[in-house]
Amino acid sequence: MLQVQNLTRRFGENTAVDDVSFTVPSGKMTGFVGANGAGKTTTMRMIMGVLTAHAGAVLMDGRPVTAADRATFGYMPEERGLYPKQPILDQLVYLGQLHRMSQADARSRAQDLLERFQLGDRGKDKLESLSLGNQQRVQIAASLLHRPSVLILDEPFSGLDPVAVDSMVDLLREHTAQGVPVLFSSHQLDLVDRLCDNLVVLQKGRLVAAGTGDDLRATAPRRHRLTVSPDAGWVREEAGVTVIDVAGRDAVVELENDDDAQRLLVAAMARGSVHEFSRIRPSLSEIYRGVSQ
Amino acid sequence: MSTETTERRVRPGAPSSSSSDRNAQPAWLIVTLREVMVKAKDRGFAISTIVTLVLIVAGVVFNAYMSSRGEDFTVAVTSEAGQSVTALADEDGRADDGNTTFTAIVVESEEAALEEVRSEEADAALIRDDDGAWTLTGRNEIPRSLSAGISASLEAYMLEANAAAAGTSPEELLAGSELEESLLEGNAEDQAVADVAGFAFSFLFYMASIIFGMAIANSVVEEKQNRVVEILATAIPVRQLLYGKVLGNTILAMVQLALYGGAALLALNLTDTADLVGSIIPASGWFMVFFLFGFLILASMWAVLGSLASRPEDLTSSSTPVMALIFAALGAGLFASGQLLVVASYVPVVSSVAMPIRMLNSEVALWEPILSLVIALGAAAALLHLGEKIYRRAVMQGGGALSLRKAMKLEQ
Repeated sequence: MLQVQNLTRRFGENTAVDDVSFTVPSGKMTGFVGANGAGKTTTMRMIMGVLTAHAGAVLMDGRPVTAADRATFGYMPEERGLYPKQPILDQLVYLGQLHRMSQADARSRAQDLLERFQLGDRGKDKLESLSLGNQQRVQIAASLLHRPSVLILDEPFSGLDPVAVDSMVDLLREHTAQGVPVLFSSHQLDLVDRLCDNLVVLQKGRLVAAGTGDDLRATAPRRHRLTVSPDAGWVREEAGVTVIDVAGRDAVVELENDDDAQRLLVAAMARGSVHEFSRIRPSLSEIYRGVSQ
Repeated sequence: MSTETTERRVRPGAPSSSSSDRNAQPAWLIVTLREVMVKAKDRGFAISTIVTLVLIVAGVVFNAYMSSRGEDFTVAVTSEAGQSVTALADEDGRADDGNTTFTAIVVESEEAALEEVRSEEADAALIRDDDGAWTLTGRNEIPRSLSAGISASLEAYMLEANAAAAGTSPEELLAGSELEESLLEGNAEDQAVADVAGFAFSFLFYMASIIFGMAIANSVVEEKQNRVVEILATAIPVRQLLYGKVLGNTILAMVQLALYGGAALLALNLTDTADLVGSIIPASGWFMVFFLFGFLILASMWAVLGSLASRPEDLTSSSTPVMALIFAALGAGLFASGQLLVVASYVPVVSSVAMPIRMLNSEVALWEPILSLVIALGAAAALLHLGEKIYRRAVMQGGGALSLRKAMKLEQ
């Protein structure tokens, strides 16, 4: 489990990250969202020790992370960085060796990862000869090469085609299945929805929401969908009900609590037939939009 | 968290991470090896090294050929005196460098002599007219060594003849006119060798400092520009990255220097011009050591320059101070002498060239190069330390190029 505690970083007058705390649980994927400039990259760079924190700490299983810990982390920086003029396999092996892998181990692992991204036969090619999407895959391979104990990925999905996204997702799931905590930032909210167990939302350097999907949904307004016949217009007059939308037989309403829900259902059944009465589960992206307004 | 225990136990797909650790080399060594391998595999580098090697060997061979190439001259003469002059020239020519010969063709008349030249049977005609004036006639040119040889022997011949006529001898006439030359230190031949070797040292140091220095700066700025450095910095201490780069390029520079030097010495040996080489070798050995220390200092400077730049283009403007230092070393090798050279031989970097040159030129007590090396070593250690501080701060910094002052103020 990776814990971020009260991290703060200023650049001159501007406080880029302000007292941010959250947890990246082991074996879970945690989505890191927020508008551009919200402080996601700065937070990730502090987690990786590339940037010094002005306050706060990063803990691994309860104790402060050391350089040796960080060497076992897998990191994908925001600005992609590898050697454009070097053969792919060579530079992956080099990075693997720097992460204390033996040359043979690094080579077989790099080859393995390249094959999973359909790049197995391009190991001798220079990085710059690959398409941008394929360069991105190599970048991912670089972060996974040394079987990281934690994954910190800054926008790992940007620039990937759907097939590559799926391979990437499979790879990440393999890592979480082994207990690795994964923190990734993304602007693709549908992906965040699909993948994340957890969500951390930053806005202008401050944490505005953090927790599991269920935690966050619990804080979201309680909405129900009601479909009745012959007409749903009567819900407007019902006490304790805030109407979001009514159209013919359908209504979307916001309710204070479960009692109100039961009362509404009874009232509906008294007026005619009820075809549907269900709680609306907000998607994480809706929650994100809700908290970051 | 309930998954906490599983996480410590396994990492995905890891057979055993400890087997990796056992084989692992220190990070600086991995960086060093990569620097060397990338450069060694670089076609441009290989080609330029081979071309330079070929040029060095060709230069030595050409020089040896030019200096040992003999010339054979044929001179048409009309008289016994002309024949004697030619014979005298032949004697001197053979004695001098053993390769220039003069052969006389004796003909009946002046016209016949000129005809020999016209038909290219002879290189020139040596004719004495009735007034006793001598003329050397060539077809469209007279080779300098031909006219010099004939003119010298004619002078000797006439001196002898005139002296005999005056009842004396050339020796008597020239008595007391000899001027002995001597040098307080070494001898003329060694001095010539020292000049050439000094030039070679200066130039090799200059070339290597720029070529490999630029390579270090570029490799730093490349990693900074591509942000690879961010990944590298999370894997290993940035210090080790710097050390690996400096060491790798120093090794490359030393190997290239040894190759060039070895090729030159080998070529000198094979062309039998090696008799002068003996005095260069000890100084060359010292030069290698001084080169190493001087280069280490420059290498850390170049690495810092690389870390301050944000694009390779920035290097051209920011490299001026280092280039000035390199030029100073070159200048010391080419022009400094006397007290200035002594001072230069203790100034780090400049001493890399100046001290070996002093050692070529004159007797230098053993403590002098050792003291100079200690100074250079101290400077190298200090600069590497300072360089590391700046490098660590600047290399993570995006945006435009940094000044040294700004970089020192940065926090990581």
